[in-house]
Amino acid sequence: MKFKDLLEFTPFATGALLTLMALPATAQNLVIKAGRIVTMTGDDIENGVIVIEEGRIKAIGKEGEVKLPWSDNTIGGPDHVAFPGFVEAYSNRGMDRANENIDVAPFLDIRDSVDPVAYYFEDCLRSGITTVNLQQGWNCVVGGKGMIVRPHGMTVEEMMVRPTYGLKMCASPKSGKSRSTQAQALRGAFTDLRLYLEDIVRKERDQRGYAKREALFQGKDLDGEKAEGKAMGGSTWKVDGLELIPRGALDEKQAPLLRVVEGKQTVFFECMEAMDIDLALSVAKDNGFLDKTILVVTASCWRGYDAIAKAGVPVILKGSLMATERDPYSGEEIEKFAPEVLAEKGIKFALTSANSTTKSLWFQASTAIGMGLDRDAALKAVTTAPAEILGLKTGSLAPGQLGNVVLFTGDPLSMTSLVDHVVLEGKHAYDRSTDKRNQQLLDGAQPTGTEAAPEEKTDDDVNEDK
Amino acid sequence: MKALTLTAALALCLGGLTQATEVESTPTPTQKKSIVLRADHVFTAAGDPIKGGFVLVEGDKIAGVGPGAGSGDEEIEVFAVTPGLIDLSPDIDTGNFSVEQSTEAPIDLSVTDALDLFSYRWKRELKGGVTTVLASPKDRAVLGGTAAVIKTGGPPLLEARLLNKYGALRAAMGSEPSSGNRAARGGAPRNFYTRRPTTRMGVEWVFRKTFYDALANKRNDVKLTGAAKKGQEVIARVMKGELAIVCEAYPTHDIRTALFLKEEFGIPRMILDGAAEAWREPELLKRTGAAVILPPYVAGRTTENAFYALETAKLLEELGIEFALSGNGNSSPLDRLMHQPGWAMRGGCSFDAALEAVTITPAKMVGVADRVGSIEVGKDADLVLWSGVPFEATSHVIGVVLNGELVVDPRK
Repeated sequence: MKFKDLLEFTPFATGALLTLMALPATAQNLVIKAGRIVTMTGDDIENGVIVIEEGRIKAIGKEGEVKLPWSDNTIGGPDHVAFPGFVEAYSNRGMDRANENIDVAPFLDIRDSVDPVAYYFEDCLRSGITTVNLQQGWNCVVGGKGMIVRPHGMTVEEMMVRPTYGLKMCASPKSGKSRSTQAQALRGAFTDLRLYLEDIVRKERDQRGYAKREALFQGKDLDGEKAEGKAMGGSTWKVDGLELIPRGALDEKQAPLLRVVEGKQTVFFECMEAMDIDLALSVAKDNGFLDKTILVVTASCWRGYDAIAKAGVPVILKGSLMATERDPYSGEEIEKFAPEVLAEKGIKFALTSANSTTKSLWFQASTAIGMGLDRDAALKAVTTAPAEILGLKTGSLAPGQLGNVVLFTGDPLSMTSLVDHVVLEGKHAYDRSTDKRNQQLLDGAQPTGTEAAPEEKTDDDVNEDK
Repeated sequence: MKALTLTAALALCLGGLTQATEVESTPTPTQKKSIVLRADHVFTAAGDPIKGGFVLVEGDKIAGVGPGAGSGDEEIEVFAVTPGLIDLSPDIDTGNFSVEQSTEAPIDLSVTDALDLFSYRWKRELKGGVTTVLASPKDRAVLGGTAAVIKTGGPPLLEARLLNKYGALRAAMGSEPSSGNRAARGGAPRNFYTRRPTTRMGVEWVFRKTFYDALANKRNDVKLTGAAKKGQEVIARVMKGELAIVCEAYPTHDIRTALFLKEEFGIPRMILDGAAEAWREPELLKRTGAAVILPPYVAGRTTENAFYALETAKLLEELGIEFALSGNGNSSPLDRLMHQPGWAMRGGCSFDAALEAVTITPAKMVGVADRVGSIEVGKDADLVLWSGVPFEATSHVIGVVLNGELVVDPRK
C-alpha cells in the first residue's frame, strides 16, 4: 500500500528536514519507577524502571535488570502506571482565532497565534497528552502552516517540537461559500500558482534576469547564505523553464503552495461530509501531493471511507466518534461508530479529543473500547498511530524514543485514574500535587494567590483622599 | 410456586401504587416467556451487590433475584446488571411547544399534553440505558406546569407509559424565564414579548406572587373556578408535600433564591435541577432539606457560568444530601447519563452512591420508588445490561429490558 511506504519513510525524511528542538534546561537524567509500564511496543512490564538521558529514553525494563545512573533523579513508585502519553493528532485550540479571513493564506504561520498560557495546554497535561499537532481551523480554503508542540512552556519557542509542520486545506465550504465556490477556490489556488509561475518564467525569458533583479531590488539575498536553489516544479505538472528562476525570487505568498506541488509539504486536508472526500483526494492527486496528504475527517464522513482506503492515505478522526443521522422515512436515529468502519477498511487512523477535558484522548479511547473496538487498537489510535502519522518518535516506550512519560494513579483508561506526573523529553513538566488549578477543578475553591490584586492608587486618588 | 410469589408481589406493589400512580400500565399476557439474566455482578441498588447472580423476569415484573444461576425459558449472560437508569432532567421536551408562554406561571397545565411519544429522543434515551424520565416543560415560564414521570419505551400511548402524571411542579430561577422578554417602554405593549419578568428579580417576584395569591385565596376561602382552581389545587399538593418543586438553579445566587423561597413559604419538598454550584452552599442545602439534581460534568464553568467542581457529588454524599445525576439535555450518543456516575466517582463519590444517584434516589424524588429504581422482586422489570464494570468509560450499555421486554438485545 502506498501510505505504508509513506509512513515508514516519513520519520526519517522529516527528521532530516526538520529540527527536533530540545527542551531547554533538560535534566541530565531522570529515573521513572512504576508498578506497571504500558510500553505500547510489547508486553507490559511489572515493577519497571525507565531511564531518560538527554531527553530520550536510554533504557527500560524490570527493576533490578536495568542499570541505573549513579546519581539519579527519581519519580514514581509501585502505585503508578507509566504510559507513553497521548498524542493529539490534530487540534485547533490554544490559539487566537483559528483562521485568518483570507481564502488562500499558505503564507501564514500558526506560531504567531499560539497562546502558551492558554488553559488548554494545562488541561492537556492533566489529561496525559504529551504532544499536540496544532493546525489552523476549518474556515479556510488553503490555511496557514501549523506546528507540533509539547503542552508546556511560557513561550512558543519553549513549546516547539517542530516549529513548522503541515499546511491546512479544507474541502468543505468555509463560511460564506457554497460547495461549488469552495471547490472552485481550491482548484483556483493551484491555477493561480501555475499562472504566476508561467508569468514569471515568461518575464525571465523576455527580459533576462528580470526576476533576479526584482528580488535583489527587494533586498533578497540570492547568492549568499539565504539562497534556496532553483524553483523546480512538481511531479504531476511542471512549468517549463521554472529552473531558470532562483527559489528566493518567488513571491512569499506563492512559494508555500509550490512546495506542496513539489511534494515537500505535509497537508492536513479537512472533510466534514463524505461528499468532500472526493474533492480533497482529486485536488491532492491532480497536484501531486497525495503521498503527503493526511485527511482530517468527521465521523459523518463514514460513507466515504472506501475512497480513502483506496487512495491509501492516513486519517485523523476529528471530534465525535459517532455519526448520528435520522432515517427520513421512519424517523429512527441511526448511529454509526466511525472507528469500527476505519478499522474494518484497514485505514490507518488516529483519534482526537472532542473537548480538552471531558472528552480528552483517554476518554475517547475508553468509549471506543466501550463501543466494541479492541483495547489494543483503541490505545494505538491515541498513541503510536498519531506518532507514526506525524512522524514523531513518541507514543511508545522504548530506548531511543523521546522521553515522554505519563504516570497515572491507575489504569490510563479508567474513569477514576488521574495523571500524577508528566515528563516531557526528560523534563518533569507536571506534578499534580502542585497543580493549583486542578485543586480548583476538584473543590471549586479559588486558589490562593490567584485573586485579582487590589488596584494601585494613582496620584489622582491620593489627591482625592486629601 | 413462582406464579404465586409473583401474584403476591403484584398485590403488594399495587397497594403502594395508589398514592403515586394515576394510570397503571396494561398488564402483559401471562403466556409470555420468562427471561433469566445471569451476570458476574448484579447491582440491585437495594442492598449489597450480588457476585455471580441472576435476575428472573416474568411478564413485566422482576420475579426473582439472587446468587446462583436461576432458571427461565430464555437465558442471557452478561457481565453486569443494574436497574434501569432514571433521568430527572432529560432531553425529551418538545421545545417551546412544551410550555405555555402566555402567562408566567401556567401551573394548571401538565406537560403530558405536549409530549411527542413518536419522537426519536425516547429511543435515544432507551439505548443509553435510561428507562424512566421526568419530562418537564421547558424553562420559559417561572412556574412552567407539572412534570410527568414516564417510561422511555412501550406502546406510544400515555396511559401505557405514564408512571406518575404529577411527578413535580417545574420552576426555574435562572435567566431563561426572563430571556427574550422586553419591558414596555413609552406606550402600550407592542408584542408578545413585551412582558414581565425581564430580570431575576422579576422571576422571583412571579414565583412569590403565585404562592402568595394561592395561599391568601385559601386563607380567605375565595372560591375559584377553571384554571385558577386547578392551579390552586397544584399549589395545595405542593404545600402538603405530595408534589415536589423541581427548580432549575445553576449558579449560587439562583440556588439561594430558590432555597430562601422554600423557607419563606414552608414548601416541604424542593429539588434543585442543574445545581452545578451546590458545592458552594452545603450548609444551606442541609438546613433547608432540599435535594439536588446535578448536571452532566463539565470541567469548570457550565450553563449560566456556574462553576462545577468535580468533587460536588462526593461532598453531597458525605453530608447526606439527597442527590441525583442527570444527562441534562445532552444529546450526543456518547454523552449520556451512563457516564455521569463515572465522573462523580472520578471526583471521589462512592460506587454505591453514584449508582443510587441514577436509580433509586431519583425514583424516590418523584414518587415512583415502589415501581422502579432497584432490582427487587415485584418491581417493574427495567434493567440495564453492561459489557463491563458499570460507569467505566470502557464499559457500555449493551442491553436494555423495559417492562420485561428485551428492547435492546445484547446478542445482536
